Amino acid sequence: MLAGKTCVVCGFGDVGKGSAESLRVQGAKVVVTEIDPICALQAAMQGYEVNTLENMIGKADVFITTTGNKDIIGADDMKRMKHQAIVGNIGHFDNEIDMAGLAAIDGIERRTIKPQVDEWVFPDGHSVIVLSEGRLLNLGNATGHPSFVMSASFTNQVMAQIELFGKNDDYERQVYVLPKHLDEKVARLHLDAVDAKLTELSSEQAAYIGVPVEGPYKPSHYRY
Amino acid sequence: MSTTVPLTDDYKVSYISLAEYGRNEIRLAEHEMPGLMSLRKEFGESKPLTGARITGSLHMTIQTAVLIETLVDLGADVRWASCNIFSTQDHAAAAVVVGRTGTESQPAGVPVYAWKGETLEEYWWCTEKVVCWPDGGGPNMILDDGGDATMLVHKGAEYEKAGAVPDPAGAESEEFQVFLGLLQRSSLTVSTSWLKPTTCSSLRSTSMTLSRRASSTTSTAAATRWSTASTVRLT
Repeated sequence: MLAGKTCVVCGFGDVGKGSAESLRVQGAKVVVTEIDPICALQAAMQGYEVNTLENMIGKADVFITTTGNKDIIGADDMKRMKHQAIVGNIGHFDNEIDMAGLAAIDGIERRTIKPQVDEWVFPDGHSVIVLSEGRLLNLGNATGHPSFVMSASFTNQVMAQIELFGKNDDYERQVYVLPKHLDEKVARLHLDAVDAKLTELSSEQAAYIGVPVEGPYKPSHYRY
Repeated sequence: MSTTVPLTDDYKVSYISLAEYGRNEIRLAEHEMPGLMSLRKEFGESKPLTGARITGSLHMTIQTAVLIETLVDLGADVRWASCNIFSTQDHAAAAVVVGRTGTESQPAGVPVYAWKGETLEEYWWCTEKVVCWPDGGGPNMILDDGGDATMLVHKGAEYEKAGAVPDPAGAESEEFQVFLGLLQRSSLTVSTSWLKPTTCSSLRSTSMTLSRRASSTTSTAAATRWSTASTVRLT
């Protein structure tokens, strides 16, 4: 049960924001760690405690890494956690948590509770529970994102495949971001399913803010 | 050289008998994926992906099954692996192999190489399997989450050009060691050439996330053009 537990979310980017919220709505006390003052301020102003991993290491019950960086939780950190603290990663890759370092601790024992749930018992008898060997816990311990969310993402993928395959020679050897009008098309395709009625911009309003009536409505750097 | 390998011999999932369970969940998911279903309607007849040979390296879930079958409906020839050793939903993988018209003994879907709980060796073997077509060719498109299929194609080409694969013993991580081991083995087999035209000069790729690994792959890329399409990030 997460209610009442102290959960540390390392990172407050897109992934951390979602993780923190999903823990909070289940009644957990969420503490955020951040290196970016902007994201730290966002977290604090949403009511989260912002603290360092070092300060929280012996206090929290659950540790979730969401950073996309490496070396977030070390083997020594896990050694100092509470008995049966849960450690998991939902960031980019399995190097956020030092699994190799954990496995290399002299006298440590790995007990598999069930697939993708391992209890690592330290020589002094206390343990931590590591999810999916430090790989993505949302896919290893659950079944990933809901269909509706993935529909938006995958619709973009298919449109990008059509564009790149059909207009092969129009693209240089570089990275492109799908144009915003296609993102807007994807969102539009999903409105009916949630019974959302869109308001239409008048031509006067469109001219006032300098966008076409049919979009795109935001500059490319806009963060939603 | 054109070799046809029946689908019966061209997939590896944990239990093909899970296909019916997978199909039922895919059916429910289709209703929840209006974007993909509207693309099927919009492009199902014109089939703009006819001639596309797409290698997919992306969590083999129920949702991905709907993506795969959309690509197929748009005309593409598809091969699929997961991009994570734990993320496959085995019933989804089985259903995609069996397809919408096939049976467990006569599958008529897409070659999938994925199961929940792969070892690293198995993972990279699966990735190689979906990059190499039975006719000896490769993909002309990649749909990649995390960049592993793209890395395999590019590192394969790079080492083939250099004439040697670096010694796996000197690899920086266990996973890269496995990766180099795979390329070392594949460079010994005549059938695998990473420098074939379809795997190099005209290859295009779309990516779920613009990750560090993907970016560094791009910077060493011989001839890949990238597009990212990520309004929703798959974590």
